[in-house]
Amino acid sequence: MSERSNGTHEPATLGVWLIVAQREILVKLRDRNFLISTGIMIAAIVASLAVSGFLADRTTTVTVAAAGPGAAQVIQEAGTVADAANKKVSFTTHTVADEAAVDLQVRAGTAEVGLLPNGSGGWKLVGKNTKNDNAATYLGAAVQQLTVQRNAVAAGTSMAALAKGAAVSYSLLETSAVDPGLAKVVAIVFAILFYISSVLFGMAIAQSVVEEKQNRIVEILASAIPVRQLLIGKVIGNTIMALGQLVLFVGAGLIGLSAIGKGAMLGQIAGAAGWFIVFFIVGFLALAGLWAVAGALSTRSEDLQSTATPLTIAIMLVMFLGIFLTGTARTIASYVPIVSIVAMPGRLAEGAASWWEPLPALVLMVAATYGIVLVAEKIYRRSLMQTGGRLTIRQALRVED
Amino acid sequence: MLELDHLVRRFGDAVAVDDVSFGVTPGVMTGFVGGNGAGKTTTMRMIMGVLALHGGEVRWNDRPVTAADRRTFGYMPEERGLYPKQPVLDQLVYLARLRGVSASEARRRGAELLERFDLGGRAKDKLEALSLGNQQRVQIAAAVISRPEVLILDEPFSGLDPAAVDSMAELLREYTAQGVPVLFSSHQLDLVERLCDQLVILARGKVVGQGSVERLRGGGRLLYRLVLGGDASWLGEYTGVGVVESNGSSALLELTGASTDDLLAEALRRGSVREFAEVRPSVSEIYREVTA
Repeated sequence: MSERSNGTHEPATLGVWLIVAQREILVKLRDRNFLISTGIMIAAIVASLAVSGFLADRTTTVTVAAAGPGAAQVIQEAGTVADAANKKVSFTTHTVADEAAVDLQVRAGTAEVGLLPNGSGGWKLVGKNTKNDNAATYLGAAVQQLTVQRNAVAAGTSMAALAKGAAVSYSLLETSAVDPGLAKVVAIVFAILFYISSVLFGMAIAQSVVEEKQNRIVEILASAIPVRQLLIGKVIGNTIMALGQLVLFVGAGLIGLSAIGKGAMLGQIAGAAGWFIVFFIVGFLALAGLWAVAGALSTRSEDLQSTATPLTIAIMLVMFLGIFLTGTARTIASYVPIVSIVAMPGRLAEGAASWWEPLPALVLMVAATYGIVLVAEKIYRRSLMQTGGRLTIRQALRVED
Repeated sequence: MLELDHLVRRFGDAVAVDDVSFGVTPGVMTGFVGGNGAGKTTTMRMIMGVLALHGGEVRWNDRPVTAADRRTFGYMPEERGLYPKQPVLDQLVYLARLRGVSASEARRRGAELLERFDLGGRAKDKLEALSLGNQQRVQIAAAVISRPEVLILDEPFSGLDPAAVDSMAELLREYTAQGVPVLFSSHQLDLVERLCDQLVILARGKVVGQGSVERLRGGGRLLYRLVLGGDASWLGEYTGVGVVESNGSSALLELTGASTDDLLAEALRRGSVREFAEVRPSVSEIYREVTA
């Protein structure tokens, strides 16, 4: 559009983006595929949390075929040791007559492990073809404990006396309510959510742009309102939808976590999730501008495959950086705009970032977003009226208004 | 009054619109004719601000046109386009709202327009479900739903059946009667001749003829048709008459000295006269003449 003719905006055109955004949202809300896929995604999040919660809460039972005097005592002690270690492992005893009977049960699979005296005062464990970790750990510890206890009594002392001064305490300098394994999972979930939402809604923007270009309705739109308003409406409409979906996903995840009794971790994860959403909004505005460019550079939706590919790859790269970077590289990445959408909340979930760190990272991203949107708007405006086939960014920038 | 003042538009080295000036008068239908690539669409896009001007100025009511003015212009682009997957009424409402009409008013007008084009029952259908002719009617409705102050229509009649042409023509006449300047381009010169009061002829980016249809036709060569009861071959020998075309008892003549009265008297003296009439050149003949 000609700058000189657009120099005077009447106030009425300034808010027109709202009407455009409203249309984008309504079209999406009436899209049955979108509604169904969102529903499936929420169900998948809740289901996966429920499954992992069920697996974590389940008590593992180890069946032990035992022979020989004292075997029952060892197994009972093993249960006590496991309890003391706060592990959900219990032991069931099948008392049998002799070694042959133990072998028979272990081979048949009715017992996971066999416990037998080894003939020299100690004990031996028998497995079929794999070693049972729980049996090895807790039966082993139980035998050791009982033996030391017995020897202590024989030497005229007691366990308590022997262990005196041997206590080691372990305190953490930085306390984290979240165990590192879970924090890693949360970081991966952020990265995947970022990827899904960016690509899904990014594609929606690109398609909506190319649709208008392909149908030539863009000419009517451009004669009615400034192209900038059109772009703002599209970007904001789709950002709101992406945000809404993300809030649903994250909310489903947090509710799922508290439902499976991980409520204690919720504070730290919810904080990280909140930052994730804030970072996502700002970063997605920049990506949305780029997706609009991908749409404007093509003439038909068939072209979109090729103009959108670089963007899809870049977004995938951000996802992988968010998942696989560690140490200093990750700390740096958490300040790099766009990558920080995934990296900073990931660090926050682990408790590896100070409370103030998201702020400068966010400022950097706001600045980058502003720059990207400006350039994107320029390319969008210039390539929108070009219908002679697919454009490169360089060609688009050379086009005169 | 919409005025185009020395408009220039280049694409690379090619000059698509070369110093084009003309006015679109209120209350008058102006036809815009020219061959493919003459620059009609480019000119219309420049009026609508979809393409930037490389020279000249578009003026509306004696001042340079602004984006706000253009929001009050109705536009039907050559390459038709609406949202195929959106219900008909919804997109009319959307386009009207973009031009500042309130949602409820847009809905009312949209329903009214659809009714007028016999599409009242299709308001909730997706556009793509309509036949091409009906999609064209929706396109027209989209151009006028904001009650425009100016109508710029690029080939509004192409693809319409005769009944639709008539209702479109009636609609345009209503707008011109209200004092709206209407500019429309067309390849159908007979239609332009029937509908237009003013004509602008474009060739290779330049205006090669403009004015009222009467004036343009008057400016052409005036011929006469003479149909006799008997043979017309004697006309070839008659002084002061040039025969352009002759066929048995009828001839197309140009008077090169003789008066109509002399000629008629001579013809009556020789037998009966069935027809003697002025033949004004048709718009298509003028068009061929000026674009040749």
